[in-house]
Amino acid sequence: MTWSWAWRDLFRHRGRTLLALLGVGVSAALLLDMMMLSGGIERSFERLLLSRGYQLRVSPSGTLPFDTEATVGDVTALVSGLRADPEVEDAGAILGLAVQAKSAAGTAVSLVGYGVQPEAQGIYVLESGRDITPGDSNGVVLGLPAATQLGASVGDTLRFFGRLDPQTAAPGAERSLVVRGVVRFLYDARDQPSVALTLDVARWLAGPAFRDRASVLMVRVAEGPAPATVAARLQREWPAVGISSVDDLVVQFRLRLTYFRQLSLILGAIALVVTVLLVGTLLTITVHERLPEIATLRALGVARRTILLQVLAQGAVLTVGGGMLGLVLGLITARWLDTILTAFPGLPASVSFFVAAPRPLALAALTLALTGLLAGLWPAWQAARAPIAHTLRQEAT
Amino acid sequence: MHRLLLALLLFPVTLLAQEPIGVALERRLAEQLRLDVGDSLTVAREVDGVGRTARVEAIYEPRADPATIMRQDYRIRLHLPDAAELLGTPDRVDRIGLAVMPGVDPRVAAEQLERTAFGYDLIPTAEVAAESSTTFLVVSRFHRAIAIISILASAIFLLCLMLLKIEARKLDVAMLRFTGISRRTVAAALILEATVIASVGSVVGAVLAAGASAVVNWHYRRLFDTTLLFSLLSVETVLWAVGLSLLLGIATGAIAAWRLVRQSPLALWGRAG
Repeated sequence: MTWSWAWRDLFRHRGRTLLALLGVGVSAALLLDMMMLSGGIERSFERLLLSRGYQLRVSPSGTLPFDTEATVGDVTALVSGLRADPEVEDAGAILGLAVQAKSAAGTAVSLVGYGVQPEAQGIYVLESGRDITPGDSNGVVLGLPAATQLGASVGDTLRFFGRLDPQTAAPGAERSLVVRGVVRFLYDARDQPSVALTLDVARWLAGPAFRDRASVLMVRVAEGPAPATVAARLQREWPAVGISSVDDLVVQFRLRLTYFRQLSLILGAIALVVTVLLVGTLLTITVHERLPEIATLRALGVARRTILLQVLAQGAVLTVGGGMLGLVLGLITARWLDTILTAFPGLPASVSFFVAAPRPLALAALTLALTGLLAGLWPAWQAARAPIAHTLRQEAT
Repeated sequence: MHRLLLALLLFPVTLLAQEPIGVALERRLAEQLRLDVGDSLTVAREVDGVGRTARVEAIYEPRADPATIMRQDYRIRLHLPDAAELLGTPDRVDRIGLAVMPGVDPRVAAEQLERTAFGYDLIPTAEVAAESSTTFLVVSRFHRAIAIISILASAIFLLCLMLLKIEARKLDVAMLRFTGISRRTVAAALILEATVIASVGSVVGAVLAAGASAVVNWHYRRLFDTTLLFSLLSVETVLWAVGLSLLLGIATGAIAAWRLVRQSPLALWGRAG
């Protein structure tokens, strides 16, 4: 009886119910989006950092990987030391540098170069062709944007230049490299033209100042120990560099995204307030309109508890219905908002701001359900406490 | 673009036997390192690099820059020759600022200079600003999208409230109609009522917005230790918001009034059929 009364009453005022459902739906969509935004990019960033199984990063002390142009020194000893550590499965160094190459059309193209140790690299995945190998002094792999800009494909030989003089445009180093394969760089911004070559070739192109230096090292921890514990121990052993676990990096990233987290909190709270007001107002007015009916039911012996449950059920129907509509709307708008935010310059193309993980979805649903219940409490209480005799007398006159 | 990156060290490193160089530290950095004017520190390009002893000559408050607010980088100013020497790039700079004579178009000046100065890129400041403001354009687009969703939600909310409010006046309207007052007069009265509610609501909303804006600025200025303005409630914004809410309020009031007055007084009284 409780549910059928709620249904009937909602159907009696179809326009009003539809509007209320729409209102709750839009508020629920906003709430869902903000729940997804509040931790979405962190989850996405964490997934990205762990995508190749490297749980630690070694960068110049006081900096984050590739956040500045600072480099780490004595890399050979550092890599050897890390690889010899019983709790480390693998370690590889990366040097970032600016390089230029001549395209098939003969024009110079500026590229982002990564010098890697191919046996332990975690910044790209092979798409076609083959990878460069340790000691490959003539090979290079290209990201798709670089391959497109250079008009190059696997097997082509390209001329690469390093240390270009900004005034005379004369290169300080020049080398022909064969395109071994086309790769997808995991941390690159959209359309960033990048290439990867062996660390030795990269250092040669970068010049003597970069001898035995690297921008960052990636470390894979062996099975068993917690990466954060290994990071802390390694940090004590190598105090001249900064060693961060993925958790540390996510914390740093979170600090930079404080604005989005707080914005999502504020807008989520506003969405909840709007839902409470909307459902609460609608139910209050409905209860006032139906006071004579409620008084009659009470006079016939229907218990206060039943009336209370009827009004709460009506609120629940509105909230659940609106919530379901909000789920669809929220997922659509999340995709739209994600397209806007992922246009941030320099942001890795594979990072998303809105991630539909089960936890935020469940949290949004629970919060909305509680909100609907809260909004229905006062009108339900009013309905249950309606003065029977007074209301019936008023209705009779 | 080559950024001047200097790692600051507080522990002894290999020092060159030279006179200390003078540096200016930004206030946040001086507070972090607990340094004051006259104190010494060591400045090096790399953490493990050869450093130079420096003396703090000044502590300054950098101009608030929204582009770097999230990074919270610390800044230090050096005399150009000292910076170039530390970086190992003597007599080189990243960029040179030029001020053109009054009346000269910077774009034309840039084109002329580019023809004569080989190896340089001359970019008018307006273009640099447009290039470096991409981040803010993205944030602005995001805010606009959120505003569209909020306006949609508010419009539905307002329409719903107005419908409910005016429908709650069924008996009053029925009485008015029974006493011979025309539909038009009743509708006008209801629309007037909606206008008053929308006006009062708009004013309350504007006051709330001013309060919220003040809280946002107070909070973020403290959080980022900056003088930047995070929320700007301009007259245009207030006028736009008030205008929109008035429009929505009156429109929804008119819709609700029309729904009510088209019914017969008996139906409104609940005695029809």
